[in-house]
Parts: sequence; C-alpha cells; structure tokens
Amino acid sequence: MSTNTYDAIVIGSGISGGWAAKELTEKGLKTIMLERGRNIEHIKDYVNATKGPWEFPHRGGRTQKMIEDYPVLKRDYPLNETNLDYWVDEKKSPYTEIKRFDWFRGYHVGGRSLMWGRQSYRWADVDFEANAKDGIGVDWPIRYKDLAPWYSHAEKFAGISGNRDGLAILPDGDFMPPMEMNCVEKDVAARVKEHYKEARNMIIGRTANITVPHNNRTNCQYRNKCWLGCPFGAYFSTQSATLPAAMATGNLTLRPWSIVTRILYDKDTKKAKGVEVLDAETNKTYEFYAKIIFVNASTLNTAWILMNSATDIWPDGLGSSSGELGHNLMDHHLNVGAGGRVEGYLDKYYFGRRANGIYIPRYRNLNGEKRDYIRGFGYQGGASRGGWSRDIAEMSIGGAFKDALSEPGEWSMGMGGFGETLPYHENKVFLDKTKKDAWGLPVLAIDAEVKENERKMRIDMMNDAKEMLEAAGVKDVNTYSMEPVLGRGIHEMGTARMGRDPKTSVLNEWNQVWDAKNVFVTDGAAMASTACQNPSLTYMALTARAADYAVKELKKGNV
Amino acid sequence: MALLFGGAALLPSCLNDKGKSVVKLKHIDLDAGQQALVADVADVIIPKTDTPGSKELGLHLFVLKMVDDCFNKEGQETFVAGMKEFNEAAKKKHGHDFVDCSPQEKLVFVSDIDKRAHDRKPDEEKDDAKLFTFYSMLKGQTVFAYTTSKYFMTKQIVYELVPGRYNAYFPVKEKAAV
Repeated sequence: MSTNTYDAIVIGSGISGGWAAKELTEKGLKTIMLERGRNIEHIKDYVNATKGPWEFPHRGGRTQKMIEDYPVLKRDYPLNETNLDYWVDEKKSPYTEIKRFDWFRGYHVGGRSLMWGRQSYRWADVDFEANAKDGIGVDWPIRYKDLAPWYSHAEKFAGISGNRDGLAILPDGDFMPPMEMNCVEKDVAARVKEHYKEARNMIIGRTANITVPHNNRTNCQYRNKCWLGCPFGAYFSTQSATLPAAMATGNLTLRPWSIVTRILYDKDTKKAKGVEVLDAETNKTYEFYAKIIFVNASTLNTAWILMNSATDIWPDGLGSSSGELGHNLMDHHLNVGAGGRVEGYLDKYYFGRRANGIYIPRYRNLNGEKRDYIRGFGYQGGASRGGWSRDIAEMSIGGAFKDALSEPGEWSMGMGGFGETLPYHENKVFLDKTKKDAWGLPVLAIDAEVKENERKMRIDMMNDAKEMLEAAGVKDVNTYSMEPVLGRGIHEMGTARMGRDPKTSVLNEWNQVWDAKNVFVTDGAAMASTACQNPSLTYMALTARAADYAVKELKKGNV
Repeated sequence: MALLFGGAALLPSCLNDKGKSVVKLKHIDLDAGQQALVADVADVIIPKTDTPGSKELGLHLFVLKMVDDCFNKEGQETFVAGMKEFNEAAKKKHGHDFVDCSPQEKLVFVSDIDKRAHDRKPDEEKDDAKLFTFYSMLKGQTVFAYTTSKYFMTKQIVYELVPGRYNAYFPVKEKAAV
C-alpha cells in the first residue's frame, strides 16, 4: 500500500471536517484530514487567550494598517487585533464580488470552529418540510426523524448547554445545564410570554459551551473570550473536541498546508479515487488516494473544489450534471432589530462574562398565520449594564467624573433578527479564471443577493423587535435595519444541495454526490434551505449520519 | 517616576532641544508643545485626586498612539487642525498658549469647552466645528484609555481574567463588575 493511500480523506478541518474525521476514525478507517492552512495547536497556539484587555496595543481596536490589509473583514466586527491571526490573508486569497458578498474565512486547522458563535439549535419538521410545502427549491430528502438521533449524538459529544423549553418549533436536545438569564432578561422573558400568551418565547441561548466538565474539557469559566481560543477547552471546536477524539484512535493523519485542488475522478468506476493536493508551503503537488472522500472545505470552497474536479467529463465540475452545482447560495440575513433602555434594577448587576445571550425562536407563519412573505426569523439578544453614561454636563470632567466612570450605567436590552433566506437558482458562485490567488489557482466569483421575500420579512423583523421590547416595558426603543448583504451572517449554505432527484440536486439523502457515490459533502454546501436557526449543529448531525452510512456501505462493498 | 500602564508605555520617546519629552509618531507630526497640550487636556478630564490621574497613568501616550495608528487621514487632520483652534481659543481667552495657562485657567477653559460640546447639536456646522471634534476625539480616547487601563480594570472595578462563574443577581454595592 502506498504511503499516500488511506481508507478515507477528509477535506477541511472545521466543524464538519472535524466531525467527519472523528466519526470515520472511530469506526476504524485510516483517515487523512487535509487542511489548506497552518496548524493551530490546542491551548499552546492560543497566544492571546490569557491576556488582559490592557495588554493589547490598541486595546482590541483596529489600526489603519489592518483596515488596509483586510478590505473584506473590515466590513464588520471580526476585524480586531485580538484574533487577527485567525482570519484569512485576503491578499493571498482574493475573490470576486459580482455583487457585494462579505466572506469571512479562517484558513487554518480548526477553521471557523475556533471563532464561531456557538449557538446550537435543532431544526424542526416544519423546516425540513418547508420547501415541499411552498414549492420552493427542492424538497429536503430527509425529515426531522431522520436527523433527530444524530442531533442527540452530536449534542452529547459536543456539549450543548440549554434549557428544555418544550417548544415544537425548536426541539429540545440532550443538553447540559443551561446558562442563566440575568434579572432583566428574566423579567422581559416573563412579560413577553404573558403578553403573547406563550405564542412567542424568550429563552436562554443554547450554546456549545459546556457547563459541566466533559471529556477532559473544563466547564465554561465565563471569560467571554471564546474567539481567542479557550485554554479550558470549554467551547466546542475541532481542537477541543473532535481532533483529540480522532487522534486518540490512532487512525488519523492531519496534514496542514494542503490545498486540495481537485478530486480525482475515475470514469471507469464512476467513483473518486483520491485528491490532488498543492502544498501551500512548497508549491509541490501530491496525490492522496482513498475509498471515500468527505468534502468539508466550508460551503464556498467545497463548491470550488467540486467545480475544479472531473472537468474532462463535466465541464462545470463534479456534481454539476444537475446544473445546480454552485447555485442556490444562501445565508441568514441580519443586521435588523431594536434596542432600548431598561429602567430600574439599579441594585442588580451580574458577575462573570457570559458568552451567550437570549434567543427568541421563530413564531411567524406558523399555526395558520400567513404574512406577506414565507418562512420566518428568530432573534438573538440580551440585557446588560453599560459603563457610566449618565448625561450630566456638570460632571463630565474632573475627579467626580473619574470616580463615576467606575460605577455601572443603566440597563439596556437589545435583539437582532436572523432571517431565513430562500434558495434562488440565480444566487450563485462560479470560477473566475481571470483572477488567480497566491498559488496561481482560479478564484471564486460570488453573485448573490436577497430578494423580495427577505425584504418583506425584514419589516417584521424590525417592527416585531420594537413591539416585543415595548410590551416588556423597555423604554426609548430604537430600531435599525441595515441594507442586507449576504455573507454577513457567516452562515453560507447551499451550492451543492441535497435532494431526491439527480436532475435537480447535487447530493442524495446521504450527502453522496449523485455523480460519484464515494464522495460525501456534509458542510453548509449540502443545505437545501436555511431555516432561521444557526446551522452548525445541523452540519454536525448530517456529518455523523453520513459517516455512519458511508462506513456501512463501504463494508457492504457498495462504495 | 510616573507609573505607566499598558501598551502606551512601549512608545519610543526622546528629548527634544527644549528638553521636553516627545513621543515619536509614525503618521502624524506633533511637536512637544502639541503633545503637552494633549497631555494637559487629558489630565484635566482625568485629574489626579486620591487616585492616579491621566499623566501618572500615561493616558495621553495611549491617546497619541490611537490617533497615530487608528485614525484615518481625515481624522488625523481634523485632530491636528482642531487642536490648533483649541489653542487659539485659549490664547484669545487667557492671553497665552493653553499649556502655559495656570491650572485654574486650564480647568475653566476645558470646562467651558466641555459644556459647549455637550450643548451642541451633533451635526452642527460652524466655523469652530474642528475645535469641538478635536475635543470630543481627545475626551473619548482619554476615557477609553482610562477605562481599559490595567489600573482601572484591576483597582477600580472587579475584573477577573477567569471569573469561573456567572452570577445573574450580583448586588452592585459590592463594587461594579464587567
């Protein structure tokens, strides 16, 4: 056996790639996980994780140099000096925006599992049935019951803290004890529940931060520095969870600096035989061979790899026979919501920095309601006390002002919506062969935008937030609704959707590429719709389910 | 010997021909007098009382670093132009440069500017707009420098790097937390 031959290849080491590696190695497959970027070792390489805020030269801010170097990242909050190393070098890896698309990438071992928001929600039946009911896109080839056991499997291992709220729209999972709402959030939640007669609910966020020790990981220490990497391993990441599990089997080889340029397709067997890798450090090309290949390069790079593969058979790439590869790109649309001032509670504060907030699950277009748009949205938010901000001119400089700065300010409460974006065939990515990255590879061109359904939904997203906050007694509520730009949700989905028919979808119900059954795509690319919940937990469940199927099929000799 | 906290202390400095300390800046050019003005205004905003003030904490050094590294060109130009207007206004009122004013004159002058800045409408366009933009930039950065300084975070409020727990009903009398 050649040293470049394995049982399985996993392309990408983020949330879904890490899960694929763990599941496949635990089932006994010799697996190589290929990561295009550098290695980041758990704890050792979290170089800023134990610094105080005053230890950063600009206290976490952004310099003009950073703004110049990161023309995309600067568009939103991720550009900051505390974890700059975790974001892609945009000059080396450009892309083309036919329409503006904010693509925030992490090219290193762990991918965005190191920086993710950690909110973890199951989908419900209504989400899997939606496309079929509305005649939109293609029907999901699976239903909640197919994924439910895999959600449990993912939750038990990842460690999701949450409350069992008993809501049909947001199925309960196998949770660790929930984090706690602060006093204002508790009261607002009670008032919302009463005002809307339980038709709307404000719950504590369900988050992949463990609240009890788990698998040699320490429970959350309430530092709220997750995105620097956690020295306690308290939130789920490849490094804290799936990578050590995969390594422990003795079956995993991790190869950083490995850019997969294409999947090697064998037209005689109608299967993939391996992948071609460009070493990002040496620029040398290698081939690796395996019986099964999991593509987990993150949605858009997964599409890129497929579009670069088997082009001698299908000019538009492996999986393009349906004409849907690269199409139906989606994201959640956001940057809309409301916030206001909360009177009172001045004798109350909170101690500890909770890396979590409140969540309001979807309530629109359910139980017979019909708005002038379809689908719905949820909210994330929270209440907090600000720094000293009382607006008294007489005390705005000098010793008394200085002393007052150490007193907490007023309470405020805010919430922002996450809305479902429909799959539109014309929202697409394709290869831009006129532009090359630092390795001479063609870059991705992105051409996508929100449409009328999302814009109508955003009116409710803004007004409902105000209405709920006011119903709960919040004062001076201000609303906001920014021009929606796809990508900002950092929830890229679609481009290689699952479906029931090879004529209209790229993947089947087991995440197999219809055109090459030993190639599995289980990251966001597989999604046929977005629902409005944060998607990562669903990727974990889909990956574990597909890996289980892949190994069974391998043993049967079917792949 | 002044106590310096945080990254601002790492700025290189040297003595100019008048013997005044000058911080070397990369993107803007401020002479010793201008740097002294920044230090003096910041020290009126956050003065030494029974706890350290701006000069002792080196807040002005951090302010200069932020203006130098983080402000865009337009912001830097406004900062410098507004500072000149600020000094001219002080001269007009007290007959000499701001830095040569007595402590009482400095307090009166900054108090007046602060009050007028507070009363102005945010988008008010007047000839002295740059003066007030300069002042609010300086004040904002001074307060930011103070409230993110090691001194403030460890001595004035309870900041624990590893809180280890979340108390949703923390009574504030025990001192503020972040």
